[in-house]
Amino acid sequence: MEEKEKAYRLHLMVCAGTGCVSNHAFEIKGALEKEIKKQSLENEVLVVTTGCNGFCERGPLLVVQPGNIFYQQLTEKDIPHLVEEHFLKGRPVQKLMYTPPKEKTPIPVLSDIDFFKGQVLIALRNRGLIDPEKIEEYIARDGYTAMAKALNEMTPEGIIEEIKKSGLRGRGGAGFPTGVKWEYVRNAPSTNGGVKYLVCNGDEGDPGAFMDRSILEADPHSVIEGMVIGAKAIGASEGFVYVRNEYPLALSRLNLALKQAREYGLLGKDILGSGFNFDIKVHRGAGAFVCGEETALLHSLEGRLGEPRPRPPYPAEKGLRDQPTCINNVETWANVPVIISRGANWYSSIGTKTSKGTKVFSLVGKINNTGLVEVPMGISLKEIIYNIGGGIPEGKEFKAVQTGGPSGGCIPKEKIDLPIDFESLTEAGSMMGSGGMVVMDEDTCMVDVARYFLSFTQDESCGKCTPCREGTKAMLSILTRITEGKGTEGDLVLLRDLAESIKDSALCGLGNTAPNPVLTTMQYFMEEYETHIKDKKCPARVCRQLNTYIVDENTCVKDGRGCDLCKRNCATDAILGEKGKAHRVVQEKCIKCGVCYDVCNFNAVKIE
Amino acid sequence: MDSANFEPRIVGFLCRWCSYTGADLAGTSRMKYPPNLVPIRVMCSGRVDPTFVIKALKEGADGVLIAGCHPGDCHYTSGNFRTLGRYTLLQIMLEQLGVEKGRVKLEWVSASEGDKWARVVKEITEEVRKLGALNWDGVVEQTKQEVAECADEKVKI
Amino acid sequence: MVNVTLDGKKIQVEEGTTILQAADKLDVKIPTLCYHPLLDPYAACRVCVVEASVKGKTDLVTSCNTKVLEGMEVKTASERALKARKLNVEMLMAQAPAAEPVKEIAKELGITKTRFEIKDPNEKCILCGLCVRTCTDVVGAEAISFIERGKDRTVAPPFNEPSEACIGCTACAYFCPTQAIVFEDKYGREIIHDELHLGPVTAIRVPIRQAVPMVPFIDKDACIHFKTEQCKLCEKVCEPEAINHAMEDEVMEIDVGSIIIATGYDIFDAKKNAVYGYGRLDNVLSGLDFERLCNAGGPTGGNILLKDGRKPESVAILHCVGSRDRNYNEWCSRVCCMYAMKFAHLVREKTGAKVHEFYIDIRAFGKGYEEFYNRLMEEDVIFIRGKGAEVTDVAETPEEEGKLVVVCEDTLLGLVRRVPVDMVLLGNGLEPRRDADEIARKFNIGCSHEGFFLERHPKLGPVHTASDGIFLAGACQGPKDIPDTVAQAGAAASEAMAMADRGTFELEPITSFINEELCGACKTCVALCPYTAITFDEEKNVSVVEEALCKGCGTCVAACPAGAATQHGFDDEEMFAEIEGALSVV
Repeated sequence: MEEKEKAYRLHLMVCAGTGCVSNHAFEIKGALEKEIKKQSLENEVLVVTTGCNGFCERGPLLVVQPGNIFYQQLTEKDIPHLVEEHFLKGRPVQKLMYTPPKEKTPIPVLSDIDFFKGQVLIALRNRGLIDPEKIEEYIARDGYTAMAKALNEMTPEGIIEEIKKSGLRGRGGAGFPTGVKWEYVRNAPSTNGGVKYLVCNGDEGDPGAFMDRSILEADPHSVIEGMVIGAKAIGASEGFVYVRNEYPLALSRLNLALKQAREYGLLGKDILGSGFNFDIKVHRGAGAFVCGEETALLHSLEGRLGEPRPRPPYPAEKGLRDQPTCINNVETWANVPVIISRGANWYSSIGTKTSKGTKVFSLVGKINNTGLVEVPMGISLKEIIYNIGGGIPEGKEFKAVQTGGPSGGCIPKEKIDLPIDFESLTEAGSMMGSGGMVVMDEDTCMVDVARYFLSFTQDESCGKCTPCREGTKAMLSILTRITEGKGTEGDLVLLRDLAESIKDSALCGLGNTAPNPVLTTMQYFMEEYETHIKDKKCPARVCRQLNTYIVDENTCVKDGRGCDLCKRNCATDAILGEKGKAHRVVQEKCIKCGVCYDVCNFNAVKIE
Repeated sequence: MDSANFEPRIVGFLCRWCSYTGADLAGTSRMKYPPNLVPIRVMCSGRVDPTFVIKALKEGADGVLIAGCHPGDCHYTSGNFRTLGRYTLLQIMLEQLGVEKGRVKLEWVSASEGDKWARVVKEITEEVRKLGALNWDGVVEQTKQEVAECADEKVKI
Repeated sequence: MVNVTLDGKKIQVEEGTTILQAADKLDVKIPTLCYHPLLDPYAACRVCVVEASVKGKTDLVTSCNTKVLEGMEVKTASERALKARKLNVEMLMAQAPAAEPVKEIAKELGITKTRFEIKDPNEKCILCGLCVRTCTDVVGAEAISFIERGKDRTVAPPFNEPSEACIGCTACAYFCPTQAIVFEDKYGREIIHDELHLGPVTAIRVPIRQAVPMVPFIDKDACIHFKTEQCKLCEKVCEPEAINHAMEDEVMEIDVGSIIIATGYDIFDAKKNAVYGYGRLDNVLSGLDFERLCNAGGPTGGNILLKDGRKPESVAILHCVGSRDRNYNEWCSRVCCMYAMKFAHLVREKTGAKVHEFYIDIRAFGKGYEEFYNRLMEEDVIFIRGKGAEVTDVAETPEEEGKLVVVCEDTLLGLVRRVPVDMVLLGNGLEPRRDADEIARKFNIGCSHEGFFLERHPKLGPVHTASDGIFLAGACQGPKDIPDTVAQAGAAASEAMAMADRGTFELEPITSFINEELCGACKTCVALCPYTAITFDEEKNVSVVEEALCKGCGTCVAACPAGAATQHGFDDEEMFAEIEGALSVV
């Protein structure tokens, strides 16, 4: 409490998102505190840990306030210098600042960096600004005012009306209008004395997606506040947050936030004297992808086998313990307080005609600025990839972007101007999904990408319905066949039939969308499939079984090298040659493992 | 009179439901048993007042048999248990008076046990025959004497 | 009501009807695998997919769980639906190649072979979940579930080990459409629905086929509901709602004027006498077994067959099994000779087999009985005077191979004979009921030494008992045949009627009374009376006997220390006089 009353000259915001923590953010923090003490600055400079800053590619990160000075890729060695120069002498250290690729001059101020410039922060409004483990800091950023307004000034109908007007749509994937869903739940009769439930779906399972985790880590109170508002709207008194157990930091921060909120009377009985009761329980999921599907999630929450059931009845009608249940995703809940406090009109002014507000994406893959971004709806793919994402590394060419995780599809470079909203992504054969965005460059084999996502869905299928259980297995086996050069043209017909039929007849969303990666890659990259089948070649040289490894003898013996490294690493003795002389691959013995290609320091091993 | 030629007189108190019927069965079954026992029918062995036994002995009986239903089978639920209690006390008293134990017996004979009835009568007859005739007057005399001695010694009974 | 069009046909169905149910009404067949009318739809096999349009929106839906909506148009065999259905069936063919129902549907859809990889050609399980749902939703035992997920999904008990939670009801196997579940009980518990054997098979059954009234009952020991409190499937399917699981056994108290005991007899258990091989050797049948075999409602429809299904060529009938035998029951059971001869007649008539009767004496004592005996001799039944000594399957000669051999001493020929036959019928004797003792005690009547109830007098009171108002009828009193039983029952009924009709009851004049002047108010008698006939009058300070309740045992009289209690006909003076009289004879 004492430190609260003190005024500090500088606040050092150390990013403590999972990415930066695994990059030793806490060691950096320790080093900073130690060094500050050494320089006797402890009464002037305060070190604060914040949630994910978003620019994960450049972690560990440090933002100095006031001034918004952005330091990146720090190491413990840099700290004494940084403290002395900047915090003691007031001279920001240029070499620790961010320099965009291909440029020489560093950009000192965070808001000037392209990665941050194009973003509009609503769900992530507090990122990097507050310590997520301190409720006071959330409150200081106008936290819980929207809740107070909703509880004391608004009627449930009023809240629903406001949300409906804002045009907010579910951020979990399908994009169902949130207000409409709330209205259904509010009007659905409960068979158990009016009991209704509210659930926050934090079972984020898409490979490469970490939006929900970051929100829970950086700003758990925004989710809690959103849930209380939702509870008032639908008339629920019990809520659940379903978080996967693989998110230990998110779990501990969420539990801490719930404890603090209860201590402050912001949860529990008679919240803020309004007479409204609501509490939240945390349920840890065991990491089954299918439990992100709402009916499977509810089964899991009830302690049963996590597998989906046919809808209707929808959870809004018959959900948890057979009572009306409102399920929304973490990001949706985080948006709610802002809509209530700033109004539906303001919110709906952002975005497109049908998709309002912003969307958080996790930008990963072959892209310079890996990280978490929040952009207004309607922004083009190009803007995200090139302006915010900083383009493709090593000057490679952009090939496609995969959105929506394993349920989504691949959008080719021809469609790079596609505006991002629910409808246009669906039209392009992909989907918004929960916001994963995997960028692929020219070295990516699209058949292999489809195979990768299929192996994921096949593994994660619960196995209840035939098309998903058997169909994904069959599709995966065909795709594996193709990548091994054993594909036939008949396989393509069967693959398409399978994909269409599974999409049509599977039981739940997982199965319905599982063929999307196959369908979109077949739609946009058919020639790659054909090359695999007819020419038995992988254009991107990813499918090793289709590669022929040869040693370019000239390069190998150039300057009298002939280093023998490839020969020594070959597991099947398929490489012949002596030290100092040109080496040669015996194709009959080669098992195409690619080790020679990987170990050659002189690029003498070539793929044909 | 030696014991072989001595014909004892025995009074039997038989309950109407079991023992008397059992005795009847022995008869209709043409079973042979000594004629020394004279049966007296009572409704239940529970009716057998100990004074009946004393009375019989006083009137010249050498032995008394009380026969009733098997425990648990009493037509009147529990009458034979009362008999059992009284019989035990009576035995102690008769012993004090100097009447041999074998002269008064209690037996359970059911309606279907004609053979048992015959056996029981045979046994008691033989036993009493061995004991010889009961000298009731002697018993009374001796008792009186003992009582008198007690009075002399001023012992209060 | 909702209007729908199904394959072009219009139909009006109730709200809440599924597409499958609507199709059923129109006799349109939609193939299903994971669906069962008694369980909630599961929608997992996706074989029942149909194309449904409503308000211009067309979707592929599973017909088992999709409810019809007003104006819905359903195409059960559209190109789109068929494509998905065929592929799903084809995939199931690869997953469970040995599942017959899948093969059948595939045949109907024109699929001959699957294009997908077959992992196990003997796999039968199609993962339809009927077993799991039965165990969870119907039985409530939750002994099996799905384990693993996706392609590794299987049905198994917890930890894949035999589960203690399993109650051995075999309902899962019953619901399994592909016979993928094999039942084997590792804990030696009773398997309730053992459909494979004759005899009582299910928890709901009629006692026998000729039962009157012909009403089924629920066997509580076998019924799943009474083990887990769930199931109640019978309630679901019973349209007249005649099933009530809450019904309890009721103990009723009925006031009656008289009681007729007609508890019958037990049949002698031939297993007690091991020489006959009953229960050990095949084709040795007791009298009751043979009655069941002969019965048109029996397991063979009345055909007399050996265990292997052949017709017997020779049959031996043994008299006096357990009767007239000092080792077992000494008495003659009276009915065996005649029923044994009836068996002989039936065997001759139905199979033409050679019949040997082994007897000690033929007791054909009734009207027409001797004539029947003579007729049988004319029917070429071979009568051998000699009690069957042994039945064995150990052959001593080639003719005896594979046959049962009856050994006996033929007392007419004076020879020990060995007669090889295919089947042996035992003439089991009659015994008192096992619990006759208990009944006798309850009604205060006696049993004769063999255990049959004792009549008051063998000649003068053959239907009466020692207790007034309690009468005997039938074999509980002694072995007898049907005509004798009917006659005795008639007599007992008329005795009972006469008593009830009189309306009054005569007491024997032997009740106790209390001389009020002598009564010392010690209350000894009150506690003694087994009939609570004695009460204590507080006002007069004396005990009082209620004469209507007094049965006249005299226990109170013997116990009264004051000599106040007296019994009519048995007072002390009378008793003393009797004793004196008894001893006055020299």
